Amino acid sequence: MSAVAAVGTESGPGAAGADRVIQGKRTGRLKGLAVIGFMLAVVAWSIDGTIIADTDWSRIGGPKGVFSSLGRFLQLDLGVLPHLIVPMIETFMIACLGTLLGCLFSLPVAWLGAANVTPSRLVAYPIGRFLMVLSRSVHEIVWALLFVSAVGLGALPGILAVAMRSVGFISKITAEAIENIDKKPVEAIRAVGGNEFQVMYYGIVPQILPVVLGVVIFEWDINIRRSAVMGLVGAGGLGLLFFRQMNMFNYGGVTMVVLAILVLILIGETVSHFARKAVT
Amino acid sequence: MVFGIILFLAYSIAFLNIDLGRLPGAFGRLASFIANRYYPPDLDYVMEGGYLLSVLDTLRMSFLGGVFGVMIAIPLAWFGAFNVTPSRILLYPFGRFSIMSCRAIHETIWTILFVSILGFGMLAGVLALTVFCIGFAGKLFADEIEAIDKGPVEAIRATGANALQVFVFAVFPQVRVAFTGIAIYTWDVAFRAATVVGFFGGGGMGWYLKRNIQQLETERVGAIILSIIVLVLIAEGLSGQVRKRVARAKYGAVDQSAKARLIRRFCLPLFSILVTMTLPISPVR
Amino acid sequence: MARVLEVKKLHVTYGKIGPEVLKGIDLNVEDDDFLAIIGPSGAGKSTLIRCINRLVEPTAGSINLFGQDIRAVSGSALRHVRRNIGMIFQEFNLIDRMSVIDNVLAGRLGYTGMLRSLLRWFPRSDIDRALELLDRVGLSDHVEKRADELSGGQRQRVGIARALMQQPKLLLLDEPTSALDPKISREVMGLIRDLAREFKVPTLCNIHDVTLATEFCNKIVGLQDGHKMFEGSTESLRKADLDRIYAMEVL
Repeated sequence: MSAVAAVGTESGPGAAGADRVIQGKRTGRLKGLAVIGFMLAVVAWSIDGTIIADTDWSRIGGPKGVFSSLGRFLQLDLGVLPHLIVPMIETFMIACLGTLLGCLFSLPVAWLGAANVTPSRLVAYPIGRFLMVLSRSVHEIVWALLFVSAVGLGALPGILAVAMRSVGFISKITAEAIENIDKKPVEAIRAVGGNEFQVMYYGIVPQILPVVLGVVIFEWDINIRRSAVMGLVGAGGLGLLFFRQMNMFNYGGVTMVVLAILVLILIGETVSHFARKAVT
Repeated sequence: MVFGIILFLAYSIAFLNIDLGRLPGAFGRLASFIANRYYPPDLDYVMEGGYLLSVLDTLRMSFLGGVFGVMIAIPLAWFGAFNVTPSRILLYPFGRFSIMSCRAIHETIWTILFVSILGFGMLAGVLALTVFCIGFAGKLFADEIEAIDKGPVEAIRATGANALQVFVFAVFPQVRVAFTGIAIYTWDVAFRAATVVGFFGGGGMGWYLKRNIQQLETERVGAIILSIIVLVLIAEGLSGQVRKRVARAKYGAVDQSAKARLIRRFCLPLFSILVTMTLPISPVR
Repeated sequence: MARVLEVKKLHVTYGKIGPEVLKGIDLNVEDDDFLAIIGPSGAGKSTLIRCINRLVEPTAGSINLFGQDIRAVSGSALRHVRRNIGMIFQEFNLIDRMSVIDNVLAGRLGYTGMLRSLLRWFPRSDIDRALELLDRVGLSDHVEKRADELSGGQRQRVGIARALMQQPKLLLLDEPTSALDPKISREVMGLIRDLAREFKVPTLCNIHDVTLATEFCNKIVGLQDGHKMFEGSTESLRKADLDRIYAMEVL
């Protein structure tokens, strides 16, 4: 093997290699710059069209105005505390009932949307898949508006809205779990003469249960967050209290409601974390 | 334990004064409500310039919220990843806490809060969407970082690199493809949120929804909800396709050129569509 | 024959109440050594190697590298220490999606400024040197390839080039051949020994294959269960010493 040559910029195969490497890096960098430049252009165009055209800068009042507005939120109104308890329980219950109802609705949808158990690959399967996507695409607020129009104010439309919104994700994961099962237990039960229901209950359900429970707990945690805002459109829980405090311009009270929501979320996160560990 | 849950649920139904009798009829009532009031949807209303401009605004807001949210989420996720955070005592709790706070509060509440400080309009909407995206993408990013192979991280640390160099050379190359998929998913979810942000004063399509509900123009409401569903479905379809392509690129050595082709094929036509949408509409607001 | 590394009474305990992995190790490395650390698995060999560049934090004891107490440094001083120590890993630890040349250049990160390194804008002298090293390890034809397109032996050679890019004053090897088949292992060990001699870099090698250790290294240190059971030149290693080092493994 040759001794190490002195490092330098002599001509020769080594120098040509270095030139090629540098050239390659340069083109790579230019490509990266072009992409960033393009993104910056779209961002600038978007900002111009939205924020710059639409904002009433004088009304905001500059940084001082913003800070004083923020300050109003920080003057906590502790008098609101006793009024928080009932709505907090309400919100929690809406989340629980909504998730449960969502589960119930998810079962038929998952059954339709699972390629291996769907009654009809041409008709039922696409319908199942479409229902899953539809449920996830409609925002929970829109669901709440629809149900408030249909059944009136109160907790019921909130529960229904949360349920309908959850169906999409729960049924999607359930369908995927069904599609991934081991066929042998299913065939065994069919072989001993079980009907479709028994096949499902003894063959499929035990296999998918851990995954389904995991996603239900996950969705329950998210639903606490959603349930809190159902009240903004009249569907019960802390949202209604939030709405009232804002209307009274009681910013300190608004902050208390937000803190109450955070407490609920914290509880939800903790329970969800340990429950999911226990299930899987 | 299961019995306890059932007991709690039964108690809840009583506590909330829910009239279970209304439940079976609810969907029938919803269906008839939709059939009578929302149908036929006033499609002319949603095809006119003012509404279409608000659709464009919603798109722009969701884009900005996604871009800014993802950009801020990346360093926060780096801080909030226990394995590679530059400081376990200071920056790790800061990163985790920031992301959790952004996530915990619903995007509509963020909208209302920003509107009360900054007034109605898209500034509040974009900020609310940005915060939402920080929470959404940040958690996914941090989980992704915590799942990386620590070997390359050790090796780069051993060369005497500082924390940022370790992130750029050892962490980011491992998560880059996953991050791109998450970013696209985040934009998709942000668009869904953006459609209703206007309902609470944040600009965009949602404001039309609110106004028409208040004015009891139910056929227009039906048309608006229909347009929201259609647009979200399109966005979901597009983002799904792009994510599939990105995931496929993960397994090839042509990563860089595939990404560039992706961007050229996707963004350029989208950009031109957006531009042409603005042209027939008067720029005067 | 200057002393490069002096380790005295080194103790390492994992966690606050964890097991004590190293129970008072003394070790000396001279500037022309290629020292092998052998012993059964769980003896603490990997931990000992990682203490030298503080990838693992020692619990007690002292480590003196070129007269500097490296337990006392932190922050940028620690990074200065690390950039003078090259390390080669069992699982190669390359950045899979990056090219071979970029992987080798990463060895200069400890010497490269922040902006330059983030843009991967290494000076020309670095690029020249990287290409030279790749030529020395026989990978000139693979310079622009992605690291995960290479075979195991080739990847380890990239790792060797990366470590040497640091112009290190000490080389640490953590089971460099355990993931390679026997013939390639021999080639890689030979390559490392030749390059270490050529660049005059003392080397500390954690290895479990005793045959390779005795073939390529001039000094042996035997560990068992966190204790040093043997230290001496390769010639002085007897079967009785090996029995003592590997006594537990009979089980």
